[in-house]
Amino acid sequence: MPRAGDSAGRFGGDSRAMTDVVFSGLSKQFGAVSAVRNLTCALTPGVTGFLGPNGAGKTTTLRMLLGLVGPTAGTATIGGRRYADLPYPRRVVGALLDATGFHPGRTGRQHLVISAAQSGLSASRVPAVLDQVELGDAADRRVRGYSLGMRQRLGLATALLGDPPVLILDEPGNGLDPSGMAWLRRLLRSMVTEGRTVVISSHVLAEVGQIADRVVIVDAGELRFAGPLADLGELETAFLRLTDGVR
Amino acid sequence: MSVPAEARKLVTVRGNWLLLAIAQLVVVAGVSGVLSRRDDQRAAVAHVGLVSLFSLLLGVVAMAGEYRHRTITDTFLAVPARRRVVLAKLAVLAPAGLVFGASASVTALTADAIWVGGRPDLGALGPTLAGGIVWNVVFAALGVGVGAVITNVGAAVAAALAWLALVEGVVAQLIGDAGRWLPFALGEALVGLPNNADRVTPWLAGLVLAGYAVVFAAVGVASAVRRDVT
Repeated sequence: MPRAGDSAGRFGGDSRAMTDVVFSGLSKQFGAVSAVRNLTCALTPGVTGFLGPNGAGKTTTLRMLLGLVGPTAGTATIGGRRYADLPYPRRVVGALLDATGFHPGRTGRQHLVISAAQSGLSASRVPAVLDQVELGDAADRRVRGYSLGMRQRLGLATALLGDPPVLILDEPGNGLDPSGMAWLRRLLRSMVTEGRTVVISSHVLAEVGQIADRVVIVDAGELRFAGPLADLGELETAFLRLTDGVR
Repeated sequence: MSVPAEARKLVTVRGNWLLLAIAQLVVVAGVSGVLSRRDDQRAAVAHVGLVSLFSLLLGVVAMAGEYRHRTITDTFLAVPARRRVVLAKLAVLAPAGLVFGASASVTALTADAIWVGGRPDLGALGPTLAGGIVWNVVFAALGVGVGAVITNVGAAVAAALAWLALVEGVVAQLIGDAGRWLPFALGEALVGLPNNADRVTPWLAGLVLAGYAVVFAAVGVASAVRRDVT
């Protein structure tokens, strides 16, 4: 068992193999469109930037990892198991997929209490995650009146309910103002020092360049690069070269 | 288990309470409409059965509404076994239909008592009310199945209402006697309508209606399991 104060953080050490995210020959066909083609790569603790132009297959890949979209071929596993086979998936993986997914008539707190209940998690986590995303003051207002940034925070709070060692964040910076972005970076940094695996998909390169240790670049559903950010040199130049952009 | 969560989802949506309130108004109007013209208390309180329309909508919106507001993502992330999600909805919506039917019964009896100016004859009205409550329970469950198959909430509501208002009548004319076994006709049989010899007995009507709910739930589960949530 990892000890508190362990140099690898509380999610480091032995639990590593339990949290490795592995895509193996992952493919998804939507009618005539190949959204993801034979994607194979592994993600390990630290921040991984999951990059690609719009429509590259990022969101489809993450949704397959989370069991929301069924792969046409291949597998996506967390610690060797499909998401649906995890006994308490939310204690292993937290996901922020987009800033929607809230009933406008419910308050932020109601949303979290419901989410905790159906995830088999204690409602005592709700005030904790509200504090963590600094949404406490708005918790008892209806989501209808939330700004996009507040919805992102609520989505992040939902992802953190299970205190999971793996975090999957799809465009988490959407709708956050500069101070919100700085706050998000600090939060993610603290997640990583605890030894968590954080995957951030984005098409905003600057956003990812500041926090990622490694990057995975996809384009047209295919893997173009997976490795340390440092290996790429200047991120934008490399990104454009790898994704058939200009330069 | 996600039954408590499903119950909480239902009670935290104000529209559901509004639906319950409107149902009471419809019952009062329905009872008054009959009793103002003739002294047929059984026909008057049979309006409890018509509240099943509201129960049906409650079920449809509880399921399809998750797709509309995209809360289905959170739900399936929490409970990847989608069959359990649909079953939990059924486990909550059937009692919710009971609440709709029972509250409508109390309203109907109250309205009846005011019109008649005395205590309603529970012995005479009891079977009609019980049938009406069962109608509500089954239709709420049926709504969950419909909402799981037709996940566009507008389309699901339109389909449900169109069936009850128009399609079942047309189909009934096409198939003649067999029309007795269509859902709305079975509901009417539950409250003892039409008042003639060849109607289905309430017990059998309840049983066949429950069969419809089971079939719709099964198709709903199959559809929810296969559908990608993009």
